[in-house]
Amino acid sequence: MQTSSLHANLDTAHADGIVLVTGATGLLGGDLVRRWTTSAAPHRIAVLVRDLGRWDATAGRLAVPHDAVVALEGDVTREGLGLTRVARTWLAQRATAVVHLAADTTFSRPLDQARLVNRDGTAHLLALAADCPRVARVAYVSTAFVAGRRTGVIPESAEGAATEQIGWVNAYERSKAEAEALVRDARRDWVILRSSTIACDDTSGVVTQRNAVHQALRLFHDGLAAMIPGVPDSVLDVVPTDYVADAIARLALRRDLDGTTVQLCAGAGAMPLGELLDECYARWATDVSWRRRRIAPPSQGDLETWDMFAQAVEETAHPRLRRVTRALAHFLPQLALPKRFDTQHADALLGAGAPVVSEYWGRMIDHLQQTGWRGVPGLAEVAA
Amino acid sequence: MDARRFVNEGRPATAAACIRGIAYAFASAHRSVRELAASGSLESDAATLEAFGFDRVHVAVEETPYDLAHAAAARLLDEQRTDPTTVDLIVYAGTPSAMAFAAASDAVAGAASLCTADRFRYPATRLQHELGLEGAAVLALDQLACTTLFGAIRVARAMMAGEGIERALCVASEFYPAQAGREAVYNCTSDAACALLLDASDDADARNRIVGSTTISKGYYWDPEAMREEVIASYFPTAVHAMHRALDDAGWRPEDVDWVIPHNVSTRSWEVLLRLARLPNAKLWAHNIPRRGHTLSGDNFINLRDAIDAGDVRPGHRALLFAYGYGAHWTALAVEA
Repeated sequence: MQTSSLHANLDTAHADGIVLVTGATGLLGGDLVRRWTTSAAPHRIAVLVRDLGRWDATAGRLAVPHDAVVALEGDVTREGLGLTRVARTWLAQRATAVVHLAADTTFSRPLDQARLVNRDGTAHLLALAADCPRVARVAYVSTAFVAGRRTGVIPESAEGAATEQIGWVNAYERSKAEAEALVRDARRDWVILRSSTIACDDTSGVVTQRNAVHQALRLFHDGLAAMIPGVPDSVLDVVPTDYVADAIARLALRRDLDGTTVQLCAGAGAMPLGELLDECYARWATDVSWRRRRIAPPSQGDLETWDMFAQAVEETAHPRLRRVTRALAHFLPQLALPKRFDTQHADALLGAGAPVVSEYWGRMIDHLQQTGWRGVPGLAEVAA
Repeated sequence: MDARRFVNEGRPATAAACIRGIAYAFASAHRSVRELAASGSLESDAATLEAFGFDRVHVAVEETPYDLAHAAAARLLDEQRTDPTTVDLIVYAGTPSAMAFAAASDAVAGAASLCTADRFRYPATRLQHELGLEGAAVLALDQLACTTLFGAIRVARAMMAGEGIERALCVASEFYPAQAGREAVYNCTSDAACALLLDASDDADARNRIVGSTTISKGYYWDPEAMREEVIASYFPTAVHAMHRALDDAGWRPEDVDWVIPHNVSTRSWEVLLRLARLPNAKLWAHNIPRRGHTLSGDNFINLRDAIDAGDVRPGHRALLFAYGYGAHWTALAVEA
């Protein structure tokens, strides 16, 4: 067993049950551990990390108290999570809950690679949990976009996930849906917490971790997007990190939620696509040099039109344009599949809904612009 | 909307005008897309361009741009039985100066002549003289790429409104020098000229009345080869914007459009553009894309002429013409046939 230098001897630190958290070096996982270790009644936590040094850095950045967390080196893609026998025995004796956040969130991964972390990693974790007799809760942090190509109201239940017949927009969505099914089949004490796409840290609009949404916005900003799939009913459902992390912290270990699926989404507070684009272009136009380029907002078309466009681009002998279009293709088609995530259960449990997107979207756009799109690939990187 | 924006994106002119006649002249030689690919004249492979709708194009060998312009204009005046002295204005649009007198095979020498006193030999004045258009004012346009003939119409209408001109001959002629290949942004090109006779007319019964128009120029894209990704990305949204502006100018609704008369670019791009533009009843008159290819001099008007001759576009039909000048120019014209 290996532990980070931050942490004291396992046995003295955690004489009682512990919560095993995966994905703790990620945005949500790190925030969750910080919340749990700094709360009035801190949980005892072990984190499964691939890189102890990276965990040390994360813990230092988040000011996670020394000795509050045991770091176990492992890898969800490996049988037994890659843990030593000693570590597995230690967990088997002490783990009382597992909160699984580790995921490969890259939308462009091929299915087999996405499955490696998201589906197979979950299977490995469930196997470990089965070997831990004290575990009475497996909380799985999923994505609301397991809904894939479903449209309409997406329920907070297994029925909210797409099926093979309905299909998904990318391999990430599919592999997460497959993982959800594994969790449901494996035990009865699960809770599934489906997060919408993370847009920014909080309603201040600050963005720490860039993703496909920011990538698409930058390509729009740079005048590289000819069209966007969308229909009049299209909305963009996004949430801030702090809302999701708070919700996970409050719900993941609640005893009364066995067999429950909760959607941590903007829901009715999602932003209509037209309004969202107008807000972007109005904000960008305050920059005189950008305004003088007279970049037109992308045209909106249905999914079939998008597919025709993408196909035409594929047929041209223009690799840079192909790469730009492919970069968008893993995410944008969701916009032409209008859906509203039901959040009634989540709202009731949390006492309030997620922040309304329109209330912070403009600040997020400003932040991206003011930071020079730092960390968001532009044409050169996307087309490389 | 401020005045500057209005000039660039709004109605170019208010003069009521109709297109009294259209005539064209293509280079006599043909080449198939496969022949062009085999001779190294294309960037894309032949199969791609065939998938985009191209089959054959006309290639000038001995003809000069002026030869083609003269042939198109003379045919037009003859077909319309127009007394040349009744033409008040000639607007020549296309290959500039002495270049217009060079055969495609000799284009380099033609270009070199622009650096000599030969630059003062102009096709527009020669047309005026050789066609007997003594009463016509002479103007020439350049730098609008494939929208130059639309620019000529814009100037003619403005002069109808401002100077009382009643009849204008607009002539465009372009060729691809032998060294330039035959492909322009995934489109296979022909050498041709197109001539239009415009009459100032308030007559609601006149054929081919121009009832709406718009032109958008975005100078940011002045160097299109250096910013090809941005240029291609800008094409669709600005094209939709231009088409809708022309409809607004005409007082038409999207569902009023019977025909879209295209510039002859890839059929794939037209399929996408028509869906984005949401013209539910419009048909695309695309018969010339395979057999003519794309000309820089006036696809839309060549197509309009052929569509009328074929009986497809009939009196009262509402036709929307859209063209893109590579890089910076988008233009659309609403025509009541």
